[in-house]
Amino acid sequence: MSAVLAFLGLLAVAAGAGFFVAGTAGVIRFPDTPSRLHALTKADNLGLGLVVLGLLPFVPGWFFALKLLLVWALVLLSGATAAQLIAERVRGPEPPA
Amino acid sequence: MSMAAVVRRGLPFLGLWLVLAGPDPSGLAFGLPAAALAAGMSLRLLPASGRAPRLRPALRLGAAVLQASVGAGIDIARRALDPRRGVRPGVVAVPLGMPPGPARDGFRLLASLQPGTLPCGLDGAGRLLVHALDTGLPVAAEMHAAEALFAAAAGQAVRHG
Amino acid sequence: MAEAPVLVALILAALVILASVAGGLWRVLRGPDPADRLMATQLLGTGGIAVLLLLGAATRQPALLDVALVLALLGAFASVAFVLASRLVGSR
Repeated sequence: MSAVLAFLGLLAVAAGAGFFVAGTAGVIRFPDTPSRLHALTKADNLGLGLVVLGLLPFVPGWFFALKLLLVWALVLLSGATAAQLIAERVRGPEPPA
Repeated sequence: MSMAAVVRRGLPFLGLWLVLAGPDPSGLAFGLPAAALAAGMSLRLLPASGRAPRLRPALRLGAAVLQASVGAGIDIARRALDPRRGVRPGVVAVPLGMPPGPARDGFRLLASLQPGTLPCGLDGAGRLLVHALDTGLPVAAEMHAAEALFAAAAGQAVRHG
Repeated sequence: MAEAPVLVALILAALVILASVAGGLWRVLRGPDPADRLMATQLLGTGGIAVLLLLGAATRQPALLDVALVLALLGAFASVAFVLASRLVGSR
């Protein structure tokens, strides 16, 4: 493994951790439930994606790399679907037709 | 349910099995039946359309998903960490130009990943209700752009009445 | 084990994510909507997955990857169960 790849990987991992912090800040600070839902799904998806991307140089083979990417794909799909379901329960007033 | 349809639907499931369980050939004794069962169940829930998704629009779609994820994460980070920004949340109704189906579900998925928008159901007139983090942004225009991407990948026409 | 500097960096990142998840758990106590509480546990799920992946890479324990995969599956079920349950309660 080249040192450059390892460095880029750690950079991506650090950025991912940063997005987790940002997501938590949004979940705590945003004023209404649907907005907090935005913060949770979007920042965390990107955070996890960057962590996965950053770990790719450190896995022992392509098989583990695929499995890592699968974890992310699963969280991305289920997170985006679940967010819509939850949003339907908690959305604010409908705009006039 | 034709054999060809089962094989076409089952191959991705078999690939999934290989990623999950490893390429060990002795595992295939379980993997092959599992993939076949999954294909049968999947075809019952979502019958084959007979129309293969087109490659180039599908790739463009993948790029759009990645771009949307990155943009949305940065948008959240800026609004959450910069006290001068904050949010102007609200619900916006967007007319839909696609019939119900997998392509529209896919569009809703992309819309929920895009910066500042989250679909949250339909209103009485069949319009898509979108929760927007910032109602000052052109939410409807962004939704229609995402819709067009999905319609292109599925080979459908978008009709805005 | 990974080389020392990499190991330290990965574990540091895991600690940061763990701390931010713990901060999010404040919403479980605060609410106000039941959905807020659920969302904080979803945060725990996603953050937990990231921590497991980081520790798995740092300590070269591939089994942690499988644990992360199971967490990812359970997270989806938790949300769907919440929405179905709240529909049942709401329709009464």
